[in-house]
Amino acid sequence: MDVHRLPDIAEKVRRLILEIACRSRSAHVGSSLSCVDILTTLYFHAMKIDKNDWKNRDIFVLSKAHAAMALYSTLACKGIISMKKLSGYMQNDGTLPAHLDRFTSPGIEVSAGSLGHGFNIAIGMAHGYKLKRDGRRVFALIGDGESEEGSIWEGAMFASKLKLDNLTVIMDRNDLQGYGRPSELCHFEPMEDKWKAFGWKALRVDGHSFTELKGALKGGEKGKPKVIIAETTKGKGVPFMEDEMKWHYFIVTDELREEAMRHLCKY
Amino acid sequence: MRNSVIERITKEAGKKKDIFLITGDAGFGVLDNYKKSFPERFLNLGVAEQNMIGMASGLGLSGFKVFVYNIVPFVLYRCYEQVRNDICYQNVPVTLIGIGSGVTYSPQGVTHYSVEDIALARTLPNLVILSPSDPIEAVKCAEYAIKSKDPVYIRIAKSGEPVIHTGRVKDITRPVVLNEGEGVAVLFHGSVSTEVVSALKGVDRRPKAVSVPMLQPMDFSSLEKELKAIHTIITVEEHFVEGGLGSIIAEWIVSERLDYRLIKLGIKNEFIHKITNNAGMRSHYGISSEGIKGAIEKAYGNG
Repeated sequence: MDVHRLPDIAEKVRRLILEIACRSRSAHVGSSLSCVDILTTLYFHAMKIDKNDWKNRDIFVLSKAHAAMALYSTLACKGIISMKKLSGYMQNDGTLPAHLDRFTSPGIEVSAGSLGHGFNIAIGMAHGYKLKRDGRRVFALIGDGESEEGSIWEGAMFASKLKLDNLTVIMDRNDLQGYGRPSELCHFEPMEDKWKAFGWKALRVDGHSFTELKGALKGGEKGKPKVIIAETTKGKGVPFMEDEMKWHYFIVTDELREEAMRHLCKY
Repeated sequence: MRNSVIERITKEAGKKKDIFLITGDAGFGVLDNYKKSFPERFLNLGVAEQNMIGMASGLGLSGFKVFVYNIVPFVLYRCYEQVRNDICYQNVPVTLIGIGSGVTYSPQGVTHYSVEDIALARTLPNLVILSPSDPIEAVKCAEYAIKSKDPVYIRIAKSGEPVIHTGRVKDITRPVVLNEGEGVAVLFHGSVSTEVVSALKGVDRRPKAVSVPMLQPMDFSSLEKELKAIHTIITVEEHFVEGGLGSIIAEWIVSERLDYRLIKLGIKNEFIHKITNNAGMRSHYGISSEGIKGAIEKAYGNG
């Protein structure tokens, strides 16, 4: 995949998010837009995921599952979820719920929605594949607010002890959670130091730079799980949503959808 | 019973390479043989119950048949949301082996009792709940769990419980009749079975005694067949009197408009401040052999 195409794909994913968010009057638009560039880089560059070789695919776990619209839209662009199925998102008698249910579609590896769950499931899967000498890699996306969960640090301690170098965790570090900023609510940083102290390879990148994301996702350190702290902006791509806490909750009206789409063209 | 279950799983692990055993820092003297025989398929995930259940789910999703061993509070209470979301909602074949059922660990204190576990577990769809009454049933429960594609919760006391069945136990998915009787039936599960057995020895009229190791899903049609000549059901369990077997039977009687009188014996729904051993606690809450005997006599109208 040529790197220059990734921005085009990301823009398409953002358009799909705005479409389904508007149709369903869904919340969590900002949370979804925040991680689009990460998911685009994963699904269209870093991960081995091929419909014709499905059983050997790499695994992606969306632990911050309130950003489900971003995953659904990415999977739709990838052709794993049909556009018809995507259009049933959060509709009555529809196809896809607001948070993930793995029985609704292929590509949804883990049901999730409560924070601090998917991460630990991903650790178990990574250990399982390693024991089976299965070369598949496991990727998980966690939120920064999610990292206030004790389960994250329980898992962090064991994943490094188990030398899970087939596991890559990306933290969507947009510094906005439901009702505040992680940096203001608790002693959040220094994040790389914390993960390093837990035995992980840790790096920090611009979570909207495809070049930096590509570089960070490449390779790793033998015997160590990897965490990428991706500096992001909640609501990225739509100027009036960017870094605004209200876009954790606000809905995209028809008028706002038009305005957002116009701005997206310029992004 | 815990030894019977673990020995059975250890034996199977030699044949089936997908069996995996996780503990949360419990199992000294119990898991040693498994740990030594299958170190690759064993993990002590320490004092971190949320991660323990999450990882069990992930190992299950990657194709392993996972067993998790811990005392009940650390396999079900501390990590209830993980059991709900990561095991039952994902519907992965993980078996939770909870030890120290009821007030086995008296007088360790309330933190170590599991008197509401069935009430909690039975709200979880997909979860099979097993509470064996003796080591024979315990082995059968382990065998059921080994074959099962569903999440399973096995509730057991500790080790050293006596065998109560004189005959062969064919099927733990159905009520297991310990002895025949008329008019009154005693339904029970778990290690309190020894109190039932000893109560039966001291009564004039012997009631029908039925062990119910599978509490969820309950085979009501088999149960109804076993209760044909019965007017009074007595449920006995080392669990809160509300929320366990007694409640399951009460709901069934009401929903099916059945004509049984029901006497529920169990632990009063309260935080237990009494300090005494397991036998003393059973006596205090009316589930010792004396308490059960009294209930049987009352049910026959001569108490």
